[in-house]
Amino acid sequence: MMRTDYRLLDVGAACLAVATPIEHFHRHLDMVYPHQSARDAPRFADIRVSLLPGSRWRWRGQQVSLWSEGRRPFEPYPIQSALPLFEWGGNWLLAQRLNAYLLLHAGVVARGDRAVILPAEPGSGKSTLTCALHLAGWRFLSDEFGVIDPTTGMVLPMLKPAALKNRSIDIIGRRPGAVLGPVFAGTRKGDVAHFVPDRHSFLSRQRGAQPTLVVFPRFRAGAALACSALTTAQTAMRLGMNSFNYGVLGPVGFDAAIAIARRTHGHELVYGDLDEAIAHVEALFERAP
Amino acid sequence: MSPHAQSEVALLLNGLHAPSQLAEARWERLLRLARMSGLHARLAEANLDKAPMTDLVHRHLLSSARIAAYRAQMVRAELFHLTPLVDADFPVIVLKGAAYLLQQRKMAEGRFVSDVDLLVPRSHLRTMEGRLLAAGWQPEKLDPYDERYYRDWSHETPPMRFPGHSLEVDLHHAITPVTGSLAFDPASLFERSEAIPGTPFRALCAEDQVLHACLHCFHDGELDLRVREVVDIDGLLRTFAAREGFWDRLLARATELRLQRPLWYGLHFARKWLECPVPREVSNALPAPSALSRAVMAALVPLAMLPSDPDFPPPFRVRLARTLMRTRYHLLRMPLRLLAPHLARKTLRRLKARFDRRTEAPTDAGAP
Repeated sequence: MMRTDYRLLDVGAACLAVATPIEHFHRHLDMVYPHQSARDAPRFADIRVSLLPGSRWRWRGQQVSLWSEGRRPFEPYPIQSALPLFEWGGNWLLAQRLNAYLLLHAGVVARGDRAVILPAEPGSGKSTLTCALHLAGWRFLSDEFGVIDPTTGMVLPMLKPAALKNRSIDIIGRRPGAVLGPVFAGTRKGDVAHFVPDRHSFLSRQRGAQPTLVVFPRFRAGAALACSALTTAQTAMRLGMNSFNYGVLGPVGFDAAIAIARRTHGHELVYGDLDEAIAHVEALFERAP
Repeated sequence: MSPHAQSEVALLLNGLHAPSQLAEARWERLLRLARMSGLHARLAEANLDKAPMTDLVHRHLLSSARIAAYRAQMVRAELFHLTPLVDADFPVIVLKGAAYLLQQRKMAEGRFVSDVDLLVPRSHLRTMEGRLLAAGWQPEKLDPYDERYYRDWSHETPPMRFPGHSLEVDLHHAITPVTGSLAFDPASLFERSEAIPGTPFRALCAEDQVLHACLHCFHDGELDLRVREVVDIDGLLRTFAAREGFWDRLLARATELRLQRPLWYGLHFARKWLECPVPREVSNALPAPSALSRAVMAALVPLAMLPSDPDFPPPFRVRLARTLMRTRYHLLRMPLRLLAPHLARKTLRRLKARFDRRTEAPTDAGAP
């Protein structure tokens, strides 16, 4: 049997390996992971997957499947959407496997080594705000995963591109300096495009940061900015609720959430205007411990 | 299977008992094979803080161990909720993984339990089902055909779940399908059962636990990637091996229940794959399957049960072996005159489901 030629993506808190004969996927990968060196030496990967094309003659169009450990955990995607399948499937697999960490569903940016964590439910404008903060000069640590190391309390970078959906694509794409991959129209989550973090953030991907501020963002079209401070207990509980594996970690997750809540300031931020939200996060950050 | 992959599987099975000292790249392959076969938390149990390893490997073993600990906690919680439903009027036996956990067996550490299986006397099945329903457990929604299948031909009721709980409860009245050739009267299972201290539940006696594990492994469902069932058999045998008279009782019980065949295969593969210390006299005392059966099983069981190369989709011979073993299972479970219409119906429905799926947008269930 031939050996598989894997492409390695070292994103900081994890390493992904992917093999596929699909040419356009490699081109897309070059676009959204531009800072990765093309061919790394073989090494341990946290997830190792193949993207294999289905039959060319399928009536409703060729598909692509994501294979992981001899299995297909998801329904196939149209072959043009190999990149969204890899990004989404890869995140799903990481969420299963990185239980050494508390995994928050959060965007994370930092100034120096002090981090702002933005945990939120899908559709609350988390990715938009994370990317906008990054474009405003903050270091990008991650969009989907807030990776907390329970032993040190540090938040670790996960330098994967941020998946922007529908209207956010245009809102972020218009901002100066924004680098986006191709737009995938009409996927299962609507239109998707991937935002590429800058090279400085990429090069700092092994450098964790100290959680300093926790902001739970909620975008509401046309809403005036409204920010309310949360108690330590509220912050801790909301961190738990916005986590992939809070339950699985049991007491470890509880202690980690409490530790973050005690060390940081927690706020809920309802916003309708992105620039106002950025300015407010910066102001909160100045006042944070 | 390629010799390379075969030696890696051997390495995995060995690593379940003795801590492994491996390079990081080898560890990655081992972890992947372990995940495929649901043995990654067992691997963690045997190696975490016992063998030297890099941070990366430690991180993955720790992750698996935490999932197992969480799932074990969910099992204990489910049994805790079931406790008030158990009364002195009839025995309730906890089967398999949940029992190993309550009995605090070493082999339960790092073993994933997917549901809670309870065994009650057939005459009290309705009573127990009624108690569960009254307490808030809800049966899985089934169409009338599946409902009848469970009631008439199976040895369990449709799975029930308490809203919000992660585990299902299956009520059994036997440990073999009532239509299968191995069906036997389960009355003696209750007579010989043992109380589980500190709980109102009971467990099968040691010999019956082994026989049930063998039955479950080779006669109750598909064999795909189910090497962990042999790991169970091995674990039970190692637990009981030193007990006075255990092997004699095991042989006598297998003869009494006419379960020598499943036991023969269980002992055979536990010894072959996991170096289980089964005394020669014990296996020699069991009537061996015919040379043809042995050859067929020797060829098909490893392909069906052991993980194939994780880099690739299962190759054709593996898929073929798994289909053949599935066919064998169906034939063992019910006579052909029942089986043929049943499978025809199931196939038709699967094709229809596939067609329906094509015509509507798939969902992202389970997405983060």
